[in-house]
Amino acid sequence: MKKTAVMTDSNSGITQTEAAELGVTVLPMPFLLDGEVYYEDINLTRDDFYRRLEEGMSISTSQPEPETVIETYRKLLEDHEEVVHIPMSSGLSGSCQTAYMLAREFEGRVQVVDNQRISITQRHSVLDALTLAEAGKSALEIRTILEADKFNATIYIYMDTLYYLKKGGRITPAAAALGTILKIKPVLTIQGEKLDSFAKARTLQQGKKLMVTALKKDIDTRLGGIGGTENVRISIAYSESREIALAWQQELASEFPGCEIGIEPLSLSVACHIGPGGLGFACSANLKAM
Amino acid sequence: MSLNTIDAQLLTKMFLAGAQNLEAKKEWINELNVFPVPDGDTGTNMSLTIMSAAREVTKLIDDDMETLAKAISSGSLRGARGNSGVILSQLFRGFCKVIRDHQKIDIEILTSALEKAVETAYKAVMKPKEGTILTVAREAAVKARDLQKNGASDMGAFLDEVIRHADFVLSQTPDMLPVLKQAGVVDSGGQGLMVIAKGAYDAFLGKELDFSLGEVTSGSSVDMKLDPQAAADIKYGYCTEFIILLNKTFNIKHEMDFKAYLESIGDSIVVVADDDIVKVHVHTNDPGMAIQRALMYGALSNMKIDNMRLEHQEKLFKMSQSSQKKEEKTQTPTSRPAVTELKETGFISVAAGEGMEEIFRGLGVDFVISGGQTMNPSTEDMLNAIEQVAAKNIFIFPNNKNIILAADQAKRMTKDKKIIVIPSKTIPQGITAIINYIPDLGIEENESIMLDEMKNVGTGQITYAVRDTDIDGRAIKQGDYIGLGDSGILAVGSGMEETALAMAEAMMEEEKELISIYYGADVKEKDAEALADKIRERYSGCDVELQYGGQPVYYYIVSVE
Repeated sequence: MKKTAVMTDSNSGITQTEAAELGVTVLPMPFLLDGEVYYEDINLTRDDFYRRLEEGMSISTSQPEPETVIETYRKLLEDHEEVVHIPMSSGLSGSCQTAYMLAREFEGRVQVVDNQRISITQRHSVLDALTLAEAGKSALEIRTILEADKFNATIYIYMDTLYYLKKGGRITPAAAALGTILKIKPVLTIQGEKLDSFAKARTLQQGKKLMVTALKKDIDTRLGGIGGTENVRISIAYSESREIALAWQQELASEFPGCEIGIEPLSLSVACHIGPGGLGFACSANLKAM
Repeated sequence: MSLNTIDAQLLTKMFLAGAQNLEAKKEWINELNVFPVPDGDTGTNMSLTIMSAAREVTKLIDDDMETLAKAISSGSLRGARGNSGVILSQLFRGFCKVIRDHQKIDIEILTSALEKAVETAYKAVMKPKEGTILTVAREAAVKARDLQKNGASDMGAFLDEVIRHADFVLSQTPDMLPVLKQAGVVDSGGQGLMVIAKGAYDAFLGKELDFSLGEVTSGSSVDMKLDPQAAADIKYGYCTEFIILLNKTFNIKHEMDFKAYLESIGDSIVVVADDDIVKVHVHTNDPGMAIQRALMYGALSNMKIDNMRLEHQEKLFKMSQSSQKKEEKTQTPTSRPAVTELKETGFISVAAGEGMEEIFRGLGVDFVISGGQTMNPSTEDMLNAIEQVAAKNIFIFPNNKNIILAADQAKRMTKDKKIIVIPSKTIPQGITAIINYIPDLGIEENESIMLDEMKNVGTGQITYAVRDTDIDGRAIKQGDYIGLGDSGILAVGSGMEETALAMAEAMMEEEKELISIYYGADVKEKDAEALADKIRERYSGCDVELQYGGQPVYYYIVSVE
């Protein structure tokens, strides 16, 4: 019997294929498309998703069904002593709360990490968890380490339009301040559990510049300085266009010398609110404990 | 006559005469403005500035030099509008610093006061330009010191020589500023200063002038007491004002004849003659007769006739209303907690047009001061806005190069709040600066980001030529459309759309992503949409955004970034 299984959801941007390679379990997030349930990366491809999003189809997200969650825990516990589960941020979804409740049935064998990560930074946490598990840490130890590390991450998101955020009803504090007749391309930020408006841009170029400046500042002031790839992980997340992300990656080489800048697709549940033209930029500090 | 000193009483007369003279000739000074676009407002701005001081001065009861100096200094400072107005207010401020300590001004004190005036004004301008009001003032002060050193003792002769020399310097301004030479005019601000000086000199000589302010164009509320019974006592019912554009000589004899005639039909007479215009103001029961008579000397313009008996009733009504308002105002603090919570940061922007105001409010601007080209807000307007915005730090976006100085002045006069003037010269610069504000960052960081980002936006504005001229080697005909860029004319043409397209072409650079078009009050929506479509077609790699600005003066304001 193996020691600790690592589990997350598809908000981490980890695909089923990649999950198999890494040896993690990824719960697919369910989507309601015109009232029918689809599962990310199971019976809903990225291309399909964006096509339907642009067609104006009503798309909404929901939590993984409790039954599926319990089923997955049970299955993992058949050949693992423990499970550490890293769901999407409790600030953005009820998934974490539900998982926490369900995990109590398993008398400590399932540990739910509430470290308020999403997308790229959630992915970083999953990778950290895997390393810690291989190093022989228990589920509780991993949870404690990750939760202590939760604020050592920063996310900026450039929005091409506010349309999808409004449509999904997620506009509240973030975009209320952006109500204007000019077409503004807001840059939002996720710090801890809060999704908030950070700044405004009118063009992609301005948006990128804003994000670079902000990320550099966060790295210098809170994430322990740039120090190359040993110190921080920087990634770009794209929604529909990988080309935009690739071009930006090239531009960024001189901004962050010595750093490898990753490119990941934005998970669909996030893209659903951001829209096809969004771009994310995130950084998390590497764990000091490792 | 050998009057060798000036006391407070005489100086009051001289100041009011100077102000009155400027007020009468402001339109003429406006026309000297060199650029062929309808921004001729130097005369108006200077006049509004000095009239604000004149109002303070007329309220004084004692003839005391110190209170007079204070009234001139603070009145002009608060009323300062436009670059020339701000410079004028600084001249007065410097002048008053010296005279306030003397009950009688002799030649030596007057000379020092002129020098202080020049020094203060130069300090207020970041990049002083020669060939302007500053040069005229400075040379006058230099001449005064020359004369004083050479033992000048007769005040009248002294003033005469200083004014004559300053007039000569003014006539040389076209040789100092190429833009003046091209347009074939002298500097308008310098001319305004001379008009003031000459009015004051006439008063010194004892020439008769009506010192009542007549009608102050700004319509600002002059504190006056009205007797409800007085309406019946108004002897002459119509306040009549006009300007005669002379087409024959109008010498002292004509002037006296004309005045005598006006006296036979009314009172409160002001007749101010210049080389080619005469400003006339009279209260009479038969305005037609004044007009008939004036037509003998030339064509009439700027005619204005008010029924004072009716106005009197209205004023009484308004006064009762405003006193009611005042009571309401004084009562509010008791019904509200006295201490209002100050937020961290506030924004004040200058903009004209309902669309523009809406855009700025939408961007989070707390207070939009209505104004812009041809209607520069005064320092006082800025101070009022600052007072209204309950914030510890306030960013001001002037959005016009002629308003930046007034904002800077307001900043210097504000002690209880930190004011940051972002020197935006156009509306798009202001919009870009505000959009780039980041709440999480400090004031200084934001200031430097805004200044940086403003450089990345190019502005073009479409207006029309008010007269034939030649600028940057381009022949421009009256009525032509002109596309003005950040540094000069980008396009000229006889069609509005064609000129706008040519201007956009001149503005475009590689890597530009967004073209914003704000259409003005005088443009039809469908014409603006047609222009936007053509621009979209031409620059398919760019986003094109069309907005209603509703601004006056500029048919289109276009930005690329």
